[in-house]
Amino acid sequence: MRAELRKAILVAAWLLALAAPGLLAWQNLRISGDLRSFMPPAQTPDQQLLMEQIGDGPGSRLLLLAISGADEATLAELSRGLVAALKADVQFEQAFNGAFDPATLDSDWLPYRWLLSPTLDSHTLDAAFLADQLQQRVADLASPAAGLLKPLLARDPTLEVLALAQRWSPPKAPQVRDGVWFSSDGRALLLAQTRAAGFDPAKQQEAIAALQAAFAALPERGVAELEISGPGWFSARIQAQTQREADRIGLASSVGFMLLLLLAYRSVPALLLGALPVLSGAVLGLVALALVFGQAHGITLAFGFTLLGVAQEYPLRVLSHRRAGEDPLTSVRALWPLLATAIVSAAIAYLAFLASGVPGLQQLAVFTIAGLLAAGFSTRYLLPRVLPLRVHDVAGARWLVAATGWLDHVPRPRWLPWLLLLVGAVVLHRAPGPMWQNDLAALTPVPRDLLQRDAALRSELGAPDVRYLLVLHGADAEAVLALSQRIEPEIDALIARGALDAVELPSRYLPSLATQRTRQAKLPDRDTLAVALASASDGLPFRSGLFAPFLDDVEAARGLAPLTPAVFAKAPFGARLASMLVERKGETLGLATLSGVHDAAALESFTQTSGGALRLLDLKAASESLVADYRERILRALGVALLLLVVTVGVALRSLRRAWRVLAPMSLATVLVVVVERGSGISLSLFHLVAVTLAAGLGLHYALFFEHRSRDAAEAQRTLHATLVCVAAALLVFGLQALSSLPVLRAIGLTVALGVGFHFCLSILMARDGKD
Amino acid sequence: MLLRATPPDGALDPAQLVATLKRSVPARTAYVEVRYSGLLERPLILRGEMEYLGPGRLAKRVDAPYHEQTAIADGRASLRRGDKPERSLPLTQIPELDSFLRGFSALLGGDAAALARDFALTASGSSTRWQLLLKPRDARLARRVTSLRVDGSGSEPWCFRTEDADGDVGFLLVGPLAASTLSPRVSSMQVDALCRGIARK
Repeated sequence: MRAELRKAILVAAWLLALAAPGLLAWQNLRISGDLRSFMPPAQTPDQQLLMEQIGDGPGSRLLLLAISGADEATLAELSRGLVAALKADVQFEQAFNGAFDPATLDSDWLPYRWLLSPTLDSHTLDAAFLADQLQQRVADLASPAAGLLKPLLARDPTLEVLALAQRWSPPKAPQVRDGVWFSSDGRALLLAQTRAAGFDPAKQQEAIAALQAAFAALPERGVAELEISGPGWFSARIQAQTQREADRIGLASSVGFMLLLLLAYRSVPALLLGALPVLSGAVLGLVALALVFGQAHGITLAFGFTLLGVAQEYPLRVLSHRRAGEDPLTSVRALWPLLATAIVSAAIAYLAFLASGVPGLQQLAVFTIAGLLAAGFSTRYLLPRVLPLRVHDVAGARWLVAATGWLDHVPRPRWLPWLLLLVGAVVLHRAPGPMWQNDLAALTPVPRDLLQRDAALRSELGAPDVRYLLVLHGADAEAVLALSQRIEPEIDALIARGALDAVELPSRYLPSLATQRTRQAKLPDRDTLAVALASASDGLPFRSGLFAPFLDDVEAARGLAPLTPAVFAKAPFGARLASMLVERKGETLGLATLSGVHDAAALESFTQTSGGALRLLDLKAASESLVADYRERILRALGVALLLLVVTVGVALRSLRRAWRVLAPMSLATVLVVVVERGSGISLSLFHLVAVTLAAGLGLHYALFFEHRSRDAAEAQRTLHATLVCVAAALLVFGLQALSSLPVLRAIGLTVALGVGFHFCLSILMARDGKD
Repeated sequence: MLLRATPPDGALDPAQLVATLKRSVPARTAYVEVRYSGLLERPLILRGEMEYLGPGRLAKRVDAPYHEQTAIADGRASLRRGDKPERSLPLTQIPELDSFLRGFSALLGGDAAALARDFALTASGSSTRWQLLLKPRDARLARRVTSLRVDGSGSEPWCFRTEDADGDVGFLLVGPLAASTLSPRVSSMQVDALCRGIARK
């Protein structure tokens, strides 16, 4: 009993030793969901801009909202209430519902209307212009619009404020009813811009939860419903859906996995203790990440845990190789040289990822190497000390004896691998579809009906396209604004030709300093204006002195310093421009969002006439080129990994011929997985590559253990048993994933399951000796 | 004259009163409009012709002191001023105007039930000199317009008085009052008296 107690204490100490650093690492490790930290570092300013704009651009941070299910007046109230709530929430940069916002009419800013409005470009404030304006205001007072205009009239008889409000409202704004946007089918429409990047699912989830809570808290809510769409909503939704499905599959495969182990080893303690090495690997992997990087990308962790699946084999090998009556330590010692070869060669192979220069891959390497080593060494030095002495020896089982006998005599034609390789090459050459899938989003697709709903909402709202950006280059903000003003007529012509629906240029909000000064110079002095005004209002019924605030404003406008973007950004309406101007080393970039791009080629050729000052940034094409670059690096890393494997396995086995017998089936099986997937029209993505790598890691084990010449028949049976359990476990876990409805899980599941099958069969054919 | 069951105590039934106001289509009338505003030192006096072309279809022409043509039809309001291009706007964008016009249209169509949906109605006076007071039920309209008062005699409306939420008042004199001559500085008290038939100029 003393031994049992000692083991229990050791298990408790083991768990405790994991708990403390594990918790510490988990708390200190910043896990980012942002796709950008997973991508290769930007090389050019262009790529840098792209990285910022993927998910961080104004377009991709927009959530499109629609409220339905109540009468129009209630919907309008809800729309106003929601905007007010979002404006008070720090998670949102801005919220729009089309309402004419009195806050934009801040008294101090009103004189600036003379510098911002284009009226003075074509008119002067002389008696004739004013007389026409004032006569119209008289008529306005008798019109139904009187109620809206009366408060503005004394200070702004030319209605510049309305002209500006119209200029600043989205280019293709939806119809306004009851002061707020409505869709053609009677839903209240809103736009909300989050601070968080569009492709940061965790932060988007938080923002969306806050949005839904704010809506639920509105007193008039009743049965009205809020619909949300946009890139942020999609990424949050897909994340949640993937998580849900992965959890469900994970639960099913865990239950299956445990039943399988119970069947194989007939021992609950063995089952529980067998989990300790992988747990140790995961914890130490996290600790290593926290120590080396301090942060990790969510995808890195997901990939890392997948790759760590190899480590589950270590305890299984030990359990299968236990002999009746033998001390577990003795069993492990016998097994260790081979196991160590597998562990160390895999760890060395992953070193290749460290040299890739991609933070995501480096993190993956650190996590996996630390995890594999920890799992391996705990299998060797800790696990045997806690395993029960009593054991179910698998050798001698009738089915196992028969299976071993069958495998010993299965035909092993030497030409078969070469034939497979040849057929594979032909299939690869003729496979349908593109070899590579560069669009990461294709693996996490948004359901078609949601995309259609998004497109419908987007066109109703006139919200910008998330794919294209027009980039304006200038030495400074002034140059960008001047350029923006200069191309306005050409852009208008493109819109008239139907190339696109609308462009939101920076100059729509703020004209260049030069233009502001020109407008300012056209403002008459107070006396001149007073004379013109008196002449203009002659015969009109306006109260004398009514327009004194107007005279004051014009006088004030004459003395204003023209607005720079920095000052403009502080205005209540300045946030929009601030997100459109980006400072770069030695230059300023203007980012104009585009809506409804119908003819990208026409836009492209327009920008090419600008001599490099204008550029159409296709975020999709650019991100695909980044993914291709990324894949290139993975492939190169995998090539180096293979070389490292050849050397390590060659050294470990002290024979190139034996190394060939181990590595050839592994390589051929990997090729065959690719052949089958390509042959059935699947384009390969990063996820496929990671899955292929995992399968290769498993295949390396099968080949290593089969290649090893067994001491006796019982040992050969144990090796077969271990391999069969491992294969069955992998097929179970990844086969279930292959059935998933989500392409990303299907990609990993199918690839690993296929790979395990091929690796197993080819290892028997090429690594294992027959007995003739 | 056409009023049948006048209640014995002399109080008028607003629904019956509205029913008698039904105009046959098309109905045209000259008008003079007098508008008072805190922004103006004297009232704005407009003359022209109004046209009722059936439910939801109204037109108003200003002849003096400037030319303007406003029309409401098929859910859109259009405005042509002088020789400037016509502007038009769907009524859904201006719901307060929409409900105001619905009320006006219901009044001229003699549709008491429709009118009562949008306004609280009270009637007073006698069949020869009556007043109908309309208070908007719709909160959005109430933010702009406090009340609408119609003065008339028999089945003829003579005067529509609108009071805006900011205290500004407008009178629309039609029928026999449309020909009234008004001094350029006529006070709202004087116009009001004219509407009520208390004093005639």
